[in-house]
Amino acid sequence: MTGITAYRPMPARESVTLSVTTEDDAPPLVRLIGRTLRDSARAGHAHEALSQSVGTVAVRSHDTPQAATVGFDGGNIAVTSGIPVSPDATIVVDLEARFAPVGEPTGDASLAAGTVVALTPPLCHWRDAAQTFWQATRDIPGVPDVLAVVADGPGGRDEAYFGDGSGEYLMAGPAEVLTGVFSGADDFLASLAAGVHVKGTLSQMSVITRAFWKVRFDV
Amino acid sequence: MSDLTQAVRSTRETAPSSCARAVRIEATNHEGSLLGKNVSLAKFSAGRQSGFAFADILFAIDLNNEIVLGDAFPDWRGNLYDIHMVPDMSTLVEWKPGLDSVIGDYWLKDGTPVPICPRNLVRKLVDRLSEVGYAATVAVEIEATLFEESIHEARARGYRDLTPLGGSTGATYHLARSKDWVDYMEAVVDRLDRVGITWEAWTDEAAPGQTELNLAPTDPLTLCDNWARTRQIMREVAFEQEHTVSFMAKPTAGFGQGAHINLSLQSDGVNQFFDEDGPSELMRRAVGGLLATMAGATSIMLPQITSYRRLVDLTGPPTTVSWGVNNKTAAVRAIVGHPKYSRLEYRLPGSDVNPYMTLAGVLAGALAGVERQIEPPQQVTDMAWCLPEDCGVPRIPNTMSKAWAALDADPLLREYLGDEFVDFWVASRRWEWMEFHTKGGDPFAELSQWESTRYFEFP
Repeated sequence: MTGITAYRPMPARESVTLSVTTEDDAPPLVRLIGRTLRDSARAGHAHEALSQSVGTVAVRSHDTPQAATVGFDGGNIAVTSGIPVSPDATIVVDLEARFAPVGEPTGDASLAAGTVVALTPPLCHWRDAAQTFWQATRDIPGVPDVLAVVADGPGGRDEAYFGDGSGEYLMAGPAEVLTGVFSGADDFLASLAAGVHVKGTLSQMSVITRAFWKVRFDV
Repeated sequence: MSDLTQAVRSTRETAPSSCARAVRIEATNHEGSLLGKNVSLAKFSAGRQSGFAFADILFAIDLNNEIVLGDAFPDWRGNLYDIHMVPDMSTLVEWKPGLDSVIGDYWLKDGTPVPICPRNLVRKLVDRLSEVGYAATVAVEIEATLFEESIHEARARGYRDLTPLGGSTGATYHLARSKDWVDYMEAVVDRLDRVGITWEAWTDEAAPGQTELNLAPTDPLTLCDNWARTRQIMREVAFEQEHTVSFMAKPTAGFGQGAHINLSLQSDGVNQFFDEDGPSELMRRAVGGLLATMAGATSIMLPQITSYRRLVDLTGPPTTVSWGVNNKTAAVRAIVGHPKYSRLEYRLPGSDVNPYMTLAGVLAGALAGVERQIEPPQQVTDMAWCLPEDCGVPRIPNTMSKAWAALDADPLLREYLGDEFVDFWVASRRWEWMEFHTKGGDPFAELSQWESTRYFEFP
């Protein structure tokens, strides 16, 4: 983490009820931030930052014009597109690297540090992530009957199957990378250049892309 | 309506011209780009009945040559199976010495139309309209902007900071455009005359370098063919004169450009939109259908990211789902009281549309209104811009994502255009939206470089 040290992480707590809202007709970055903060809230991650922070944090992409504002108000969190004239803090992040900060934050260092932590919820085991992914996307028209996953992890090769039927779609690759894409933390198409392999038709690839968008961006 | 276009069409030869060495077979893809290939006479002779194989990639890629992902392909698409373009020989013309041109439709191996083929969509709607006793007469006002620089110079500059051809002062109907601008337009209409496309007028339009070229009323399929070919001619003349033309919705951060469609319905050669007392009952129902489908049809009429940047009150384009007699601030203007000229002007489309899909969308709305006897809402007699939110006149969807959501949820457009087309188009717009936001487009700019690079030369 570059230059963000003021925030002291608190022990993970049980899920608390926090309100994370996004504007209507939100662009992908707003959706991505909103979904990520909800995941953190659900996991009891960064509880202090989410529930006690007050202020506005501008979040900028390091390599595209994407920009959003996270407004913290004691547990009520609003994510909107664009940035205000004078945010309390600004962070520049790599959206293809799970919000990794790029350069020094500006403004309120503690608020910036808390936001970065809140945007990096812990990821679960790849099998649990795949199960959650499957449950969230299986009803999308055209999603294959069966999702087969083969993961190469520290303990060797492991596999899992989700669904039932004749149409199978296989995803194989490093467990860490699979965890990232199934949880929505990482981009599916980018994962194909990071060691993930797939076996299926182009049509299946197409609809699976939509499924990963649903998990990552809720769109 | 001019009879000339029909006459030219009916007397066209159905074999390549005697001096032709090649035939260009062509059709638009979903983005509205005219695609095709040049084939030798021998190859054309061999394939003119059975058709010519094209990879489905032409419907599968975006304007940056990326494969569009996001929906389940129907079986006929497979892993980019071939589809077949069958030339419509009634469209055969001598394009230039040595080269003929013919427009085709895409068909599947089993002889059924490719469900997402834009030209076949128009055919389907024309046939369905005929079944209820009507024939549509349509016309279009094509807007485009001309620049002094050659296309090579424009590309080198990233399509920015170009010099409007004819002077930098914007003035509609202005006759003081410099000779280079006039020479360009005269060369364009000369080419149109030579390939048998009937035009009615051209003039200076509001923005610097901008022109409006009106094509004559005719049947929907012919109009779409003429429209697609006119764009091609305007490009070719620009290449020849070392200038640049753009049909982008906003080629600069200034004025935008539209493509108004004029529509009337005929029965036994009589204009059924005419009534001495105002809009005929048939016209009212067509309006009812056009307004009932307008939110969903916006996705087709404003197809690209830049298209939505035009939707600003008081700048020309409609911003509300509205209609009114002789009301140019409304989305549908009813012109009434004349046996020949009574018509609807559908003012929503941008200049960057696919002509065929646009006409399909307009015909679908009008037909839905006629078949289902849809009564229109009360016409807007005030200015239809800047209306209060609670006045009962909804706003036109002002983003690509709002528009595709409206199309996805529109049962009328799903019925008349087909689920397969709607699903395909919605997925393609979702992809376009995602590409814009995540690959460098700037929603906070008046016009981003990403848009100029992607849309300036296409469709």
